Amino acid sequence: MKVKIRKWNAVATWRWDIPEDDVCGICQVHFDGTCPKCTYPGDDCKLLSGKCGHSFHEHCIDEWIKQETSKGQCPMCRQKFEGPEGTGAAANETMEDPADMEV
Amino acid sequence: MAFASKRLGKELAKIHGSLPPGITLVTAEGFQEWLLDIQVLDANPIYMNKTFRLKFKFSPSYPIEPPEVTFLNTADRPVPMHPHIYSNGIICLDLLGQQGWSPVQNVESICMSLQSMLTGNTKNERPEGDEQFVASNRRRPRDIDFYYHDNTV
Repeated sequence: MKVKIRKWNAVATWRWDIPEDDVCGICQVHFDGTCPKCTYPGDDCKLLSGKCGHSFHEHCIDEWIKQETSKGQCPMCRQKFEGPEGTGAAANETMEDPADMEV
Repeated sequence: MAFASKRLGKELAKIHGSLPPGITLVTAEGFQEWLLDIQVLDANPIYMNKTFRLKFKFSPSYPIEPPEVTFLNTADRPVPMHPHIYSNGIICLDLLGQQGWSPVQNVESICMSLQSMLTGNTKNERPEGDEQFVASNRRRPRDIDFYYHDNTV
């Protein structure tokens, strides 16, 4: 029997390429969800991983870092929060595009 | 208010699920003010058989800003005796101040910190200058720069 495919629908899922399955410590929303200000997860609401190894929604950690009282420190470990490329200023570097596309 | 209310909604759902022993939710109507009761679970004679009531006040910027947390004084809920707790219920604890706060803290973790602050205490006394502080203080707790003179208690 010959089957002719006329049409197919691809369905994909994605998740951030981070080791643990966890929530953002600041807003307590799962990393695959958005920060409280956003509607759509993904590129519009990225994650930011500090050199110290702690990750947050970029929008969440931005809110914290711009507070004078944060002294630029990671909310988890109180080390200086630096983006992955060592720019010094937090939140200039974001994680790469959603990884692990599975079709 | 979106940020604070979404975060508090998450916390409330978790609190309704379970809370550590000795911590109970009294009221959480809305996302501005919650009341919780705490008890000290070990046999510390200062706090035995007593329950203390905490009032949490949240700003729209919670958890970027710390909540205002005080002990209430009611007929059956005294303000616990402690060298860092004033008789008007104001608590001198670094994690509740601008300097020690971190947005990864939450209502449950604050309750647990206060519980352990009481558990480890052996001094049945008020902070130095309590009477004068209670009579004269008009500032909000978070604006007070407490002098952490004794970190052993």
